[in-house]
Amino acid sequence: MLDIIKYIVNLLHEPTIAFTLLTVGFPFVFPPTDWFEKKHRQLHIDKLWSNTGGVVLMLLVVAYFALGFTDKNAYIIFTKPDNVPIILMAFTVVYFLWLSMNQAYRNDERLDRGEKPDEYNDPNDKILVWPDLVYSELISIILMTVFLILWSVYIKAPLEEPANPALTPNPSKAPWYFLGLQEMLVYFDPWIAGIMFPLLIIIGLSAIPYLDINLKSSGFYAFKSRRTAIFAFMYGWLVLWIYLIIVGTILRGPNWNFFGPYDYWDAHKVVSLTNVNLSEYVWVKAWNQGLPANPIKREFLGFILIFLYFAVPPFLLAKTKLKDIFKQLGPVRYAFLMFFTLSMLSLPIKMYLRWFLNLKYIVSIPEWFFNI
Amino acid sequence: MIDERYYKGNVLNKWFAISSILMFVSVILTFIDDNDDEFKEYQKEFRALEVETSKTVLTEELEKVKSDRIDFENKLVAAQEDYNNKNSLLVQAQKDSAKLNGKFYKANAEFLAFKGLYDQIKFEYESELLEHQHHDNEDENVKPQKYKNKKKYYDAIEKLQVLKLEKEKRENLKDSKIAEIKFIKSNLKKAQDELNIVLKEVNITQSKIEKLDRESMTFQNQIADVVRDLPIIDFLDPYYEVKQVVLEDIKYDNNFKYVPVVDRCTSCHLGVDKPGYEDAPQPYTTHPNLDLYITDASPHPFQEYGCTSCHAGRSRGTSFVSSAHTPQSEEQQAEWEEKYGWHYLPLWTEPMIPTKYTEASCFTCHQSQPILNEAEKLTTGLNLISSSGCNNCHLIQTYDNLGNNGPPLTHLEQKVDKEWAAKWINNPQSFRYNTWMPHFFNQENNSSPEMIKRTNAEIFAITDYLFEKEDKIEYNNSNKYLGDYDKGEELFNAVGCMGCHIIEEESVSLGEVDTRYELPTSEHGYEPDPNGDGYEKATRYSLLKLQGPNLIGLGSKTDAEWVYNWIKDPTVYWPETQMPNLRLTNQEAKDITAYLLSFKNEEFEEIEAINYDKEETENIAKRWLVKAFPEYQAAQMLEDMSEKETIDYVAKKSISFYGCYTCHNVKGFEDAKPIGAELTHQGSKSYHKLDFGHIHDISHSNYGWYEQKLANPRIFDRDKIVEPEDKSRMPNFYFKPEEIEAITTAILGFTNRQFGDNKITYNLAEDKTQFEGHKLINANNCQGCHIHDEFGGQIVDAIGTQDYAPPNLNTQGIKTQPDWLFKFFNNPNTIRPHLQVRMPAFNFTDSQWNSIISAFQSLENHNLDFENDLIVDKNTVHFKAGDKLHEFGACNNCHFYGTTFPNGEPQTWAPNLAMTKERLRPEWIIEWLRNPQAIMPGTKMPAPYLPDKDILSTPDAVETWGKDIVTLNGDKEMMLEGLKDYLYTIPGKLDITKEVKAYFSKNGYGFMKPEEEEDDDWDDDDW
Repeated sequence: MLDIIKYIVNLLHEPTIAFTLLTVGFPFVFPPTDWFEKKHRQLHIDKLWSNTGGVVLMLLVVAYFALGFTDKNAYIIFTKPDNVPIILMAFTVVYFLWLSMNQAYRNDERLDRGEKPDEYNDPNDKILVWPDLVYSELISIILMTVFLILWSVYIKAPLEEPANPALTPNPSKAPWYFLGLQEMLVYFDPWIAGIMFPLLIIIGLSAIPYLDINLKSSGFYAFKSRRTAIFAFMYGWLVLWIYLIIVGTILRGPNWNFFGPYDYWDAHKVVSLTNVNLSEYVWVKAWNQGLPANPIKREFLGFILIFLYFAVPPFLLAKTKLKDIFKQLGPVRYAFLMFFTLSMLSLPIKMYLRWFLNLKYIVSIPEWFFNI
Repeated sequence: MIDERYYKGNVLNKWFAISSILMFVSVILTFIDDNDDEFKEYQKEFRALEVETSKTVLTEELEKVKSDRIDFENKLVAAQEDYNNKNSLLVQAQKDSAKLNGKFYKANAEFLAFKGLYDQIKFEYESELLEHQHHDNEDENVKPQKYKNKKKYYDAIEKLQVLKLEKEKRENLKDSKIAEIKFIKSNLKKAQDELNIVLKEVNITQSKIEKLDRESMTFQNQIADVVRDLPIIDFLDPYYEVKQVVLEDIKYDNNFKYVPVVDRCTSCHLGVDKPGYEDAPQPYTTHPNLDLYITDASPHPFQEYGCTSCHAGRSRGTSFVSSAHTPQSEEQQAEWEEKYGWHYLPLWTEPMIPTKYTEASCFTCHQSQPILNEAEKLTTGLNLISSSGCNNCHLIQTYDNLGNNGPPLTHLEQKVDKEWAAKWINNPQSFRYNTWMPHFFNQENNSSPEMIKRTNAEIFAITDYLFEKEDKIEYNNSNKYLGDYDKGEELFNAVGCMGCHIIEEESVSLGEVDTRYELPTSEHGYEPDPNGDGYEKATRYSLLKLQGPNLIGLGSKTDAEWVYNWIKDPTVYWPETQMPNLRLTNQEAKDITAYLLSFKNEEFEEIEAINYDKEETENIAKRWLVKAFPEYQAAQMLEDMSEKETIDYVAKKSISFYGCYTCHNVKGFEDAKPIGAELTHQGSKSYHKLDFGHIHDISHSNYGWYEQKLANPRIFDRDKIVEPEDKSRMPNFYFKPEEIEAITTAILGFTNRQFGDNKITYNLAEDKTQFEGHKLINANNCQGCHIHDEFGGQIVDAIGTQDYAPPNLNTQGIKTQPDWLFKFFNNPNTIRPHLQVRMPAFNFTDSQWNSIISAFQSLENHNLDFENDLIVDKNTVHFKAGDKLHEFGACNNCHFYGTTFPNGEPQTWAPNLAMTKERLRPEWIIEWLRNPQAIMPGTKMPAPYLPDKDILSTPDAVETWGKDIVTLNGDKEMMLEGLKDYLYTIPGKLDITKEVKAYFSKNGYGFMKPEEEEDDDWDDDDW
């Protein structure tokens, strides 16, 4: 029985399955449109954010790790000192997600009823800063420090022997907070996954206040009034970042091969990875020709596709679906918003292209160290 | 005031208090965590142990001095009484002394005070003089008034003198009073000093205990002892601290930079340098060999070598796990895991070497001369590597082989026939159970029916290739080459063959074998047998007699013509052979041939011959061709080959594949490269880089892999799908467990460690040629016959007694004159006439002989090639005394004087004394005459009797001893000098080989035989 459960769990962890499930299920959890909203309520997913739902969520996370502790292989991974923050992260992310959504839903209901949001303080919406806020912040700081000290005393930092270029650890893993980036390296050229994406993430996050000029429900948690924005942000945060960190930590073993949480990390596992560039698909497979020597000629289709990807959808959407937003933001803000969103979406797109078409690069010019 | 609050009352204050207390507790925790290092626990435990041991020592010492102590204490009591009686005197003297002291003090103070004043006056007067000189010519009128300080100055001198005399007087009085007091106390002090000498050890131990044992300390010291180890202040002078030594000359690779090793082992291994803890538990045990290691007087002092330069491990680690300890066994590993939470440090490439392999580290510095008596296992391993020819296939830059191991295969048809060769290649042990030739075939990865088909075809092709010219036509056993069997046997046993060869028919089983790795059984050789009653373990000594092959079954292998010619002059068949020339006469060679050919191996003769398999040969050829060419081309090429060409092609491919040419000379492979992986730095290789395949039961360490590879070289192919051309091909030598251990030790010695130049023995030697000499001595098995460097001489086991065995080469480096030795090597003549065993002639170059002489000299720290001849003055008293002493000694009973035979029986015959002046060094002769047993234990040479002073002062001394000896009056040095001088004047023929030979060919060596006659069985343990 346990074996079957473990087998199913392992299977569900396959990136193709897990990622697809997450992506498909995501709009039902954070509905961006009315239709999804309707389904969301019909399927009672909104109950997830109730108090009972919170308990269930936390129990699910506990059960996930508890099951892992019964397994020899998962136990090794879960108890590694390096991985303790990840487990803490799983709990805290779920808890705070629930907390904020719980408050948001409560506020939504209050607003529907025509009341003020929960956080509103009569009569003037003021906060008592001194001494209550400052004092409780100080206490929190002290308690957090105590926690960190105890952590560092009882779970020693996993310091190892001096690095040895002749003997590198397999798998070589980045610090846990970079594992999402490292996971992206599977799908993108280093300059994109290692330089451009991190830069875009930082710039994009900094740009949010300038792009989001919607003043509705600011100052308190709410969902309904800005569900598309929350959906988009949550997808990027939970699926494209937290999920990738968890994959990088728990599911990537020697040679960065994928292993289910209950699989033995066999360093000798052989996985065939024959990846093909788009230009090879076009020139060799479709047109039965050799590859042209001129890289521009060779990669012309890739360039065109990239150009179209960033140029066409914004125009079409501005005319159709996102007409209101375009009007609201103006062309400059709209252009930036589109650029960041499309960049973000390029990650799942590229992942699927890799999984189903073995596509290595859309544009591949190794002569110039330029691959997309 | 604000009265609006979220939290009423003191809620926040309470939380603040709670969190502050928690914070405080956690800070304390960090202190505790920071100071509870593992090594401190060990240091505390050892301190207790030291106190305990010291107390035991104290009791012992007290016991030792018990009786003495009573005597001296009584003396002390008596002195004390005497002293007490003189008490009134002393009191008075002390009173006087105090008074006198005061007076002296006053006088001295006055003197010193005035001296200051005097110096000032002197200065002033001097300035006046100077001023006057300058103004000399300017104003004559100033002159009369000058020198107003002159009188003052001279008055001061006078007064100073008075004060000085007064001071000295007082000082004298005071000192004499002090002396008086001292005298009164002197008896007491003397008694006390005497007692202290007796109690020296007791006092040392006592003060040690006072320093260590808190209970024995004064109260202040107890406080200090606690305070010095308190957190934060413990940076000053703590008792419990990391003890470390920085080894400037021994570095390790810290990524692109070599940094000095910092050894911290003694933080826990506290008793390692202190004798007396031999039985203490680890980590306190004393090092088992302090004469060689750790102590300052040893050649490897701790301050220079530390611990990890030999034992490896992580030198900076201060806990059990972080220092990379390695368990000795699986049981110990389990124990450690439980007790210490031990685990491998996965990224540390040099974990501690298990104790049984520690000798490996000797090689790091001693690699130019790795034959070390103190490192038996390493030396055995290295000898096994040379003998097995490991370094023929595997390049080992620091330990190269001196030549091919196997005989040349270029004119095989003179020696054996095709059928024999094929059967031999297929299964060498079926012919000779302890051959060095390893097994390539019938191994676990090539014994399936398909593989046997393939390997038989390969063997046939190889043999065919080797016998390209012709097969051996017929075995020529004509009487032309055969002599007398009995005489042959006698000669074989006596003349020196057994220095390197044995003839032992039966193999023995290994006895109970308990290895951590899989040890395969061999069909004909040694095999694990749980009921076996043990066997002769391979040691450095037992290998001496396996230098040459075990000469069984020769009659089934070759013919008389070949054997006869071979033993007459081995270099004709094999120019590079290590087999020396024993200068056998034709008749001797015939006799030995008859003896050797009498051994037959009928079982081997009955083994079926390997036949030609055309289809399989073509199949093999095709497979090889396909590896290098496209299929269509390969098929074409195969079609174009004649049958003979196909066989040749398969043969060449097979010879390259198995590497036959690395040990044997094979035509067409003169320039081929070795086929094995280079082993120069194999000891440093991490186990991560070794392919364990699907073998999981063995120790996952580099030595675990080497052990298994040596025991069963093909095992890592198990359960793998491998093409025949990619299979493991290292042959199986069927090593025994102790041989595997020895070879593994040697392999672990081949490291890339970087030690300072002044640590490498090669750099420390003045004369580098000695290293070549030591190598030659080892490679040519000189120690098979001679004891050299306190090792060897196994032939004595065959001869039965040291009396008839080759000489002990102890002190050889200072014994003979180098130019004589050089001549002797090139043309050995008879020195010890009673020996039947012969010094063979080796085929060495002049520089090789010189290096051997260098090697002898290096053992004696002597390094001189040319010396003045000794010029003897026959008119000195000591010469005449020597002449006389020599008469008394009756040297001519045993020694030859040129062609004059000794008076005694042949079994006592000794070297020709006329040869002395050419052969021996004068300094050595004196030492030799002084005590022959010290230089050659067991020699029949007695030390000459030298009369002492008492004997020479008897009235009839002159009559008995002659006036010259009496004149020397018992001066033994002069007597020895005289004897030596005399020996250098003995005339006669130098080389008496012919005369001696003539005698023995007439009379035989019958005297040697009596004990041996009944013992024909060489396996008998009794002799």
